[in-house]
Amino acid sequence: MKLKKGLAVALTATMAFSTLTGCSNNGSNNETTTNGTTPSETTSVAESTSATETTGNAVVADNGIEPCTIEFWHAMSNKQEEELTALTDKFNAENEYGITVNLTNQGAYKDLSSKLTANAAADTLPDLAQAYNNWLSAYSDKLVHLDDFVANDFDNWDDIVAGYRDENSQFGFISGVPFNKSTYVLFYNKTMFDELGLSAPLTWDELLEVAKVIKDEKGIEAIGWDDLAGMFQAMLVQNGCGYIDETGALFDNEKGLETVEYIMNLYNNGYARLVGEDKYFSNVISNQLIASYVGSSTGASYITADGWELGVAPLVSNTEMAANAAGTNIVMFSQDTNKQKAAWEYLKFLTSAESTTEWAMATGYLPVRTSAYESETYQTFMATDPTSVAAYSQSAYFISQPAFEGSYDVMTAISNTLEEQILNEADAQTTLDALVKAVNDILQK
Amino acid sequence: MSKKRKIMNIIATVLKYAILILGALFTLMPFLWMIISSLKTPAEITAIPPKLLPSVPQWSNYAEAWKAAPFPRYFLNTIIVTIFSTIGVLATAILSAFAFSRLNFPGKKLVFSLFLATLMIPGEMLIITNFITITKLKWIDTYQAMIVPYMSNVFYIYLLTQFFSQVPDSLYLAAKVDKCSDFKFMMKIMVPMNKSAITTIAILNIIGCWNSFLWPLLVTNDRNMRVISNGLVRFQTEAGSDYQLIMAASTIMVMPIIIVYLFLRKYIIEGVTQSGLKS
Repeated sequence: MKLKKGLAVALTATMAFSTLTGCSNNGSNNETTTNGTTPSETTSVAESTSATETTGNAVVADNGIEPCTIEFWHAMSNKQEEELTALTDKFNAENEYGITVNLTNQGAYKDLSSKLTANAAADTLPDLAQAYNNWLSAYSDKLVHLDDFVANDFDNWDDIVAGYRDENSQFGFISGVPFNKSTYVLFYNKTMFDELGLSAPLTWDELLEVAKVIKDEKGIEAIGWDDLAGMFQAMLVQNGCGYIDETGALFDNEKGLETVEYIMNLYNNGYARLVGEDKYFSNVISNQLIASYVGSSTGASYITADGWELGVAPLVSNTEMAANAAGTNIVMFSQDTNKQKAAWEYLKFLTSAESTTEWAMATGYLPVRTSAYESETYQTFMATDPTSVAAYSQSAYFISQPAFEGSYDVMTAISNTLEEQILNEADAQTTLDALVKAVNDILQK
Repeated sequence: MSKKRKIMNIIATVLKYAILILGALFTLMPFLWMIISSLKTPAEITAIPPKLLPSVPQWSNYAEAWKAAPFPRYFLNTIIVTIFSTIGVLATAILSAFAFSRLNFPGKKLVFSLFLATLMIPGEMLIITNFITITKLKWIDTYQAMIVPYMSNVFYIYLLTQFFSQVPDSLYLAAKVDKCSDFKFMMKIMVPMNKSAITTIAILNIIGCWNSFLWPLLVTNDRNMRVISNGLVRFQTEAGSDYQLIMAASTIMVMPIIIVYLFLRKYIIEGVTQSGLKS
């Protein structure tokens, strides 16, 4: 009897152990983490670096870097990954310090983002990672401040496209370097536009006119947006209106109402449509079921222009010009001074005019430097690639997604709310109210 | 009259089969569509109206999908993880179900309620804490990181406890009279009598393991430790997806599961038809 009880207790104890391990974590903070330092030391490391490097580039080069391995987590696949691997192999073979960068693919963006969140909680972040700023707002204290590196050991930060510099300073310090950058452009069916005597719309008014002609003549919608929240942000800015900040919605006003009115007018009149289950309009335009759409400039390769010609134009503008920049930056988490220096060597290499040009031409992303855009190699490439021409023309007025706690959820909420209101064929005021509520519910709780 | 009955019989049979065939078609359609799509060109796959068959089957999709990721290695990893976690889940489920249904010990009801209470915690909430545990154990990039957290499952324990409870007391008491130990009774009587329930649990667990994505991704960084579902995301980017390659890779991925099903089919059907035992 005693034995039986013993067995039963042992069994249940085993069970309890294996099922409840999830609850047993108490985050023993006194344990030394793999990185060896606590996050609060990040700034002091950066500061001490600056102290020894105040005299400029030469000192850093002389400082020497011990051979080490840098972990870089990314979300690139297919030919993008091939090109990243090619560039990294080149760096590994050619750098004079014996630095090896180890690339790890962590799935798609969403997966990489989950992976970073989990590793931030466990304090096991990699040395480098691709990231959107709004993924990082919850653990931005773990980011290495790159200001001193940029000030002392970078070939001309001002050469980096202004929009990207702003984006990488969103946290109040330089948090990363731009890498795989794209922008939203207008893809349109040039054959159809030519046939109707239309040219790509440049302003809100022109878009309305074009849309009416297409609707009347062809019976299809003129335009669609892959990313509704991105569309909304860009259109607000184009109309001289604010988007969101930490305190909530900035568009609960006359200008905001005007913008929403314009958007709902497009949808309610059948001039624009939602992407729905297709997810991306590339399929829809390939089948000539829509005349144009706004999507990522890297999406060009997913459009099959069979029997028609693809045109690419910059986004429409109203009183102001604005185009969404998309794509990630590379941020640094390593806590070790030597690894930080080594990782910085790699970042300098990736953002060099030569690398960024090669990267852009191979992948369809955009160069991150003005000098790369202006290089002869890239200019020759642009002559054969209309997408890069449209993208380049927008590079002076890129806007990026806000990055503070909750901003990522706001993006999803705006997309969902807009979609719902469009399906309801709601009027402008109802839609605006719903949007303001959706945003403020998240940011003002 | 017998002729009339014969005709009626034939009509009934025809109707029965017609309904069955229709049902089978409905069930098979997604699989067929997946296989057909895996042989299309990108243009054909997104064509509207959809084309039923590709004009020229693109077998090259399979070759392309196969070489996009180290699939042989992924298969091996998935099989290892699936086998060990299923063995683990069966061992823990059978032992604890036996304890809960047959044995008496202090706090049994409380422990059982605690177990059931954990079912209320969404899996997403456990991910981060489990992940931290795994990192503290330095189990990143190991098989045990993917296996151990899934070696027990409260739902299966609950399910099996219900099945075990239905076995009449008289069998247990008779075994006791014959000086049969609890463990022997469990292995010789309980397990064989509930073979179909146990097989069902095994199948559910195998399918779950085969499809799991986020956890294996979280606990591995080494490309050679990834599992097969991680290979599928390689065809998706921020701007679009190569559906024909996803479909080809998905077909490769589900084939083993279908084969497992074909082999275990007998037990699944047994589970449905097995008659109850009278006390």
